[in-house]
Amino acid sequence: MIVRFEYFAPKSLDEVLRLLDEYGPDACLLAGGTDLLLKIRAGAVTPTAVIAIKAVKGLDLISFDTTKGLFIGATALLSDFAGHPAVTKHYPALRDAALATANVQVRNMGTVIGNLCNASPCADNAPTLIAMGGTAVVESRNGGRCVPLEDFFKGPGQSVIGPGEIVTSVTVPVPPKGSGASYLSLSQRSRVDMSAVGAGVFVRLESSRIAQASIVMGSVGPVPMRASKAEAILAGKRPSAALFARAGEAAAKESKPISDVRASASYRRQAVGVLVERALGEAAARAKGD
Amino acid sequence: MAAFDIVGKGVPRTDARAKATGSATYTDDIKLPGMLHGRLLRSPVAHARILNIDTSRAKALPGVKSVITGADIPPVRYGNWRLFPNLQDEYALARDKVRFIGDEVAAVAAVDRDTAEEALGLISVEYEELPAVFDVDAAMRRGAPLVHDEVEGNVSLDRKIRYGDVESAFKEADYVRKDTFTVQAVSHAYLEPCSSVAQCDQDGRITLWTSTQVPYIVQCLLASTLKMRENDIRVIKPTVGGGFGGKMELRPWEFCAAFMARSTGKPVKFTLTRREELATGRRRHPMKLISKVGFKKDGTLLAKDLKILLDGGAYNAMGPTATFLCGNFGAMLYRYPAYRFLGLHVYTNKPPASAMRGFGAPQSLFASETQMNLAAEELGIDPIDLRLKNAQVPGDEIPDVATISSCGFRECLENVAVMSDWKKKRKSKKKGYGVGIGCYSFISGGVFNWFNTQYAFSTAEVRAFADGTVHLLTMASDIGQGSDTVLKQILAEELGLAMQDIRLTTADTAMTPQADLGTWGSRVTLMAGNAVIDAARQIKEQLFGAVSARFNLNVIYDLECKGGRVQAVGKPERGVSFGEAVAMVQKTNRGKALVVRGSYTPRRKGLVTPAFSFGAQVAEVQVDQRTGLVDVKNMWTAHDCGTVINSKSVEGQLEGSLHMGLGYALSEQLVMDGGVTVNDTFLDYKIPTALDMPHGVSACVPTYEPEGPMGAKEAGEGMVSPTAPAIADAVHRATGYRCMDLPITPEKILSGMKNKG
Ligand SMILES: Cc1cc2nc3c(=O)[nH]c(=O)nc-3n(C[C@H](O)[C@H](O)[C@H](O)COP(=O)(O)OP(=O)(O)OC[C@H]3O[C@@H](n4cnc5c(N)ncnc54)[C@H](O)[C@@H]3O)c2cc1C
Repeated sequence: MIVRFEYFAPKSLDEVLRLLDEYGPDACLLAGGTDLLLKIRAGAVTPTAVIAIKAVKGLDLISFDTTKGLFIGATALLSDFAGHPAVTKHYPALRDAALATANVQVRNMGTVIGNLCNASPCADNAPTLIAMGGTAVVESRNGGRCVPLEDFFKGPGQSVIGPGEIVTSVTVPVPPKGSGASYLSLSQRSRVDMSAVGAGVFVRLESSRIAQASIVMGSVGPVPMRASKAEAILAGKRPSAALFARAGEAAAKESKPISDVRASASYRRQAVGVLVERALGEAAARAKGD
Repeated sequence: MAAFDIVGKGVPRTDARAKATGSATYTDDIKLPGMLHGRLLRSPVAHARILNIDTSRAKALPGVKSVITGADIPPVRYGNWRLFPNLQDEYALARDKVRFIGDEVAAVAAVDRDTAEEALGLISVEYEELPAVFDVDAAMRRGAPLVHDEVEGNVSLDRKIRYGDVESAFKEADYVRKDTFTVQAVSHAYLEPCSSVAQCDQDGRITLWTSTQVPYIVQCLLASTLKMRENDIRVIKPTVGGGFGGKMELRPWEFCAAFMARSTGKPVKFTLTRREELATGRRRHPMKLISKVGFKKDGTLLAKDLKILLDGGAYNAMGPTATFLCGNFGAMLYRYPAYRFLGLHVYTNKPPASAMRGFGAPQSLFASETQMNLAAEELGIDPIDLRLKNAQVPGDEIPDVATISSCGFRECLENVAVMSDWKKKRKSKKKGYGVGIGCYSFISGGVFNWFNTQYAFSTAEVRAFADGTVHLLTMASDIGQGSDTVLKQILAEELGLAMQDIRLTTADTAMTPQADLGTWGSRVTLMAGNAVIDAARQIKEQLFGAVSARFNLNVIYDLECKGGRVQAVGKPERGVSFGEAVAMVQKTNRGKALVVRGSYTPRRKGLVTPAFSFGAQVAEVQVDQRTGLVDVKNMWTAHDCGTVINSKSVEGQLEGSLHMGLGYALSEQLVMDGGVTVNDTFLDYKIPTALDMPHGVSACVPTYEPEGPMGAKEAGEGMVSPTAPAIADAVHRATGYRCMDLPITPEKILSGMKNKG
């Protein structure tokens, strides 16, 4: 497979937007390239223009503000993100998800937003970011829009991002008082691997009851998927091991996994239930400040 | 036992600095002026007749210098089993049939790799697809499609071993069990993909640099397939990044590089991609093993009846040897008064299996050792006690096959029990926790001359110089296992020199003495080591003569090479430096250089090997009972490798085999969908990572192997075998699930637990 394309490394966002506009559907954005280059080599995409965005100044910003929450720039590396003091302090579940992604070398090249834009059903950073109410900021030459991450994914490898568009950042609200989140994943080769299944959950407690719960499962459907029946089971209840086990079971039932070389559908179903149950336990403990 | 100066020490490897700094030169690093780049066209179908190949469009592509197919090359079949030409079943490029997805059909050489790749797409091949067979049962069914038209029933080879009266032993037995095991295909996954560069000189002679374990075999088979004389082919092995049995044959890209270098007059390089390696490369044999054993009530073994079906894939490759060896290992470790083995090597339309670390032992021992654990459980005997009761000891004979010389197996068992605190841990009832045991024995090189070499099995030339240095030349091939270091150590020890006094030239068929059969079956330390000692002793003989004359020593004096000197034992003042002694010999011989050749060929050593290694391993696991994930916490190993020549090397071998054994046990598997290898990337072919490695503790049981160099024998290949049965046994203790078909996946554990209720 021989691929020939124009390579651009613009220094400004304006220039990125201009190139995106010019090349339309034939352009690919390149952040860390840890997904894109593999796809190009495999012939899965055949861009005529590759636009590298790491040279754009300021695009790798990670910042936290007690009113606006967390800001993740388009080229923020997974490793910088996982090591950022504000992330560690306020969003330990997001840190865990970033650390569950690939290995040290890949995290030093790959970006959080590249992980989302690649739109793999097993993207490790998606479930928790969705569960915590993250929003993608999308820009193009014709203006911008904000897309809740919940609505971001359309199918394996497909997102709402159209030709000419770039995700410039993702924002995550300040975790409310009494809330906690957790991300757990597993694969056969346990510690550094593409996940066979994953679960990101967020819970908020109010007077010892669950006021809000979001459960998002990875690798058990075409897109990271919300377990709304399991969430309903939790609503208004006091957190307990038995409750979380029931929610886990419900989540397993809702999941729509496929069988592939990484795991069978029935195993994925069973395992995602266990992960949801355990993640809820960890999230509730974090919410209580244990 | 003699005390050693250098042998036994953790001497740093000769290649450590080059590898750590990235300056080691691998084959793909070689770039010659005007060099062309080759790519191979592989069959997309598992079984088909080739009706027509049209290369005209590929040839017309600018930059393409050569396109060849099976029709362009001499119709010579090759294979490592030269002793039995009917087992040589491969052509470098397919002639009338393709037999697996990936079978090499055509080759292109072009000015760059991309052009060569593009040209592949321009070759059109017309296939008439044939029905195919993908497992041993289907292949052996009556009327099954034939992978090779001339091989009835798709069984290319059978092997029988038989001694004692098996039938009456089973009648006498109080306890008989029969089990069927299956094991999966796994990849060698050496980090350096196969690569070759060939150059043709003005006289038409070929030089081939290639990533191989067997330069001599490649030289000979290349000569026969190119219809050239052996001496007109020079094979050089640069630094090699691992082989594990996957690089021990002549391969099509080696042939094509040489053939096209000759036809184009330009150097040609082929380097495989990882995808090619995983999807089409050699692999460890999947096997189906049916084993029946009989015991007395007290645990005494009476008999074993073992049948093994090897899924060989489309060609024999090293399958015949694996068929011999898995039968041999079926009767190792324990004393079987009666034994019957039938091994069948079966063709299927899949990428050929071949030699891989353990060479039949990992499969055979997974079955044997698991069956021992099953029997122990039902007989109500501790599995270590059951093993001790039946363990082989020095002097044991396997009729017609081998006699065991040194053997520290009992000590290994006793040792590992103590190291791991076995009795206590085995009793633990902690949920999801278990310890288990597996053992191994392995060969130190083979004695059966399947390659039909006309030379000694290993050879070493030593040249000694008046400046106090020596030059060791041997065809022995260091492929990462560290033989360069070990051979130097052996020579340094014998000649009383330091490591830096020795220059080394290895694995160049035109420069190093004929011959060495290569690196496989753990043969190099023992065989090349013995050849080095043979040469060193001849050097010493001459040096001693000169020193003896110079000091007018009484003939009863013993002499030694020690600390850079040649001297009378106990009277160091009657001696000279090594260099002076060499100068004296040279003077005596009126200027003739001091050069000798040593060799080693095993004789009167039965059918298998000159020496067996042994070991026992205990695994400790914690299993997540709800996800089925296995965490291997600790591994304890006690092993008997004879004299340790290099402690660091032995330690490295142990770590490496643990890692490979861990993958075999838990995560590695080439997943097949018919003839397609589904997981052809390292993303989905799951080699354990550094983070998956358990904590390991090991101990060497001291023994002295009389046939080995300075008492040494095999280390590190055999140790790949006990890990899977040990982990499987531990998982059984932890969960109740007994694995009879590797690998032990979380899914199998969960469904196994469910079936237990
Ligand atoms: C060895 C290895 C292991 C891996 N393990 C994991 C793992 O465990 N878990 C996991 O989830 N992933 C894993 N990955 C996948 C990959 O590393 C991650 O998805 C990574 O976060 C991708 O980031 P990147 O910056 O490299 O993306 P790129 O490859 O640069 O881009 C990915 C895709 O997103 C598009 N894109 C990038 N940035 C933008 C943007 N700002 N706006 C719009 N589109 C954009 C690109 O065009 C491309 O299609 C692994 C990859 C490798 C090579």
